[in-house]
Parts: sequence; structure tokens; C-alpha cells
Amino acid sequence: MKKTCKEIFVILLISILIGLIANALSPNGIALIRDDSERFLIDSSKTKSDNFKNQRGKLNKAGFYQPVNIPVETAKILFDDGILFVDGREPAEFQQGHIQGAINIDYKIFKDKTKEEKNEIMKDIRKDQAVVSYCGSDSCEISIDNAYEMAKVGFDDMKIYLGGYKEWKQFGYPIEE
Amino acid sequence: MNFLSNKYFLIAIRVIVGGIFIYASFDKLMNQEMFSKAIYNYKFLPGTFINIFAIIIPYLELIAGIFLISGIFVRGSSLIISILLVLFIIALGQAYARGLDIDCACFELKNELENANQKSDILLRIIEDMLLLTASIIIYIKSKIILNKEIQQ
Repeated sequence: MKKTCKEIFVILLISILIGLIANALSPNGIALIRDDSERFLIDSSKTKSDNFKNQRGKLNKAGFYQPVNIPVETAKILFDDGILFVDGREPAEFQQGHIQGAINIDYKIFKDKTKEEKNEIMKDIRKDQAVVSYCGSDSCEISIDNAYEMAKVGFDDMKIYLGGYKEWKQFGYPIEE
Repeated sequence: MNFLSNKYFLIAIRVIVGGIFIYASFDKLMNQEMFSKAIYNYKFLPGTFINIFAIIIPYLELIAGIFLISGIFVRGSSLIISILLVLFIIALGQAYARGLDIDCACFELKNELENANQKSDILLRIIEDMLLLTASIIIYIKSKIILNKEIQQ
């Protein structure tokens, strides 16, 4: 058993050393501590929902503009302004009911496409305007992930409506079923 | 069950299990950001540790796989692989039990058919991992017996 423990220790040590060194040297290396603290954060200092409307995400290290989380009030203002809503759920769920005028881009399929294919799928959407990403409800993270996938291909003003279809419907805002 | 102690049978399962682990590590090494997100989707580990795991696990799989095939540190490698497989089975099992969609970290209410499809996908992966775990435990136990015999001789 002592010999096995020694073997495990050696394998662990080699893996940790190579892993850390390779990660530090690789251009695709990741941070040692994953930071999801802002994933669901809605900036409460912006008390007026109008402020969110014009709030643009920061350009991050990965070279794309960070999507911004918005509350339902801002989502409604953007909706009234005619801003496009993108529903990231699967087509069957989308067809059961969605925010009026929204288009369906299924995250699970979209995420595996190449950059060119993503641009092709989104070719009819203006890049100089805001786009709102949403999904079923706040227990679903497709809205966040889909917005990041879109931001990475050049949509610089992505908004994430975390409350999603469920909250929108509860507020009695326009839907299509 | 005599064939389990057959030297060539043991070499064959070492190559198969080692090969699967080497293959599985490549995909993760190519895109660690995606692997980190995949771990996140299981909602199983505290966020702080996710990236450390995403950095080390692929190399652990790769090195244990190489050692297993080449016959170096066979017992240590097979034990590490067994521990990893137990962790994978627990992660998949809790996702299955909670009805979590590991493609997107969602607990969405879906229609029954889609839900059943996702659940059977997870179940299939649990069964695969259990088969691999059995093979890995056989390697661990049998290589100990062979080792003891060699010492006695």
C-alpha cells in the first residue's frame, strides 16, 4: 500500500506541475480561480432602469464587450424601443410561448458552431444595436451563455434579461403562444 | 474467473482503459475554458475550485493513461483512474437525480420526451463509467496479485 501511495503522489505531483506550467504558458490559459461573482449581478447603483438601457459592457481581456444583466423594467423599455429579443431555448419550448417578436437561436446548437457559422446565423441582426438575450426563467442560464457566445462574435451591446419568459409573462407583457 | 488473472487479458484492459483516458484528456486540454464551463454545469463543485480541477484533471487523465498502458506505476494509475471515475459517477448521478440539464446548467421544465432523452443520455454515461470503473478495479486488484507472486518467486 505504501508503494501505491508513493506512485499516486508522484502521478499527482507530475500532473499538478505540468498542468500549472502549461496553463501559465498557454495563450488559452484560464485563471486559477473561476470568478462567477458577476454572472447574476444586476448593478443596483443604477436605480433608474433607463440607466441600464444605455449602459454598455466593458471590453474584457478576451477581447469582447461584456454583456450586461438587466431587470424586467429595462427589458420592457428596450422592447418598446423595438430592440430584438433572442430566445435561447430549444425550438419546442420556444413554440410553446415566447416574448412577442423574439427570434429563436437554440443555445445548445449555436454554441458548437464556428465563428463564421455563428455570424451566418446572425447575419440579419444589426451589430450596432442592442440585442436582448433571454430564456425560460432565472433558473436557466442559457440567456447568459448565449449572450456571451454572441458577444464573442462581435455583438458589442448584448443585454441579458435574467427573469426570462416566466417573469415577462407574470408581468403581463406581450407574448406569442 | 481464471481469465481475469491472465496476463494478456490484463494488458488488453490496461490498453483499453488507458487509451480511453488519454483520448478523453485531449478534448479537455484543447479547450480548458469549455471544460471549466462543463464542470460548472454540473453544479457540483464550489466555484472557486472549478478552474483548478479544469487545469489538473486532464493531465491526471493523460499521465495515468500513459502509465497504465506502458506498465509504469500500474497500481497507482489504476487507483487514480478509479477515484476519478467514482467522482464522475457521483457528479453524473446527482445531475440525474436533480433533473439537471448538463448541457446548459438548467433546471428547466421541459416536455416529458426531451426530459427522458436527457436523462437516458446521463444514464448511459453512468453505465459507461461503471464499466470502466470495474475494469480499473480489476487492474488494481490483479496487478497486486501478480506483483505478490513475482515477489514470492
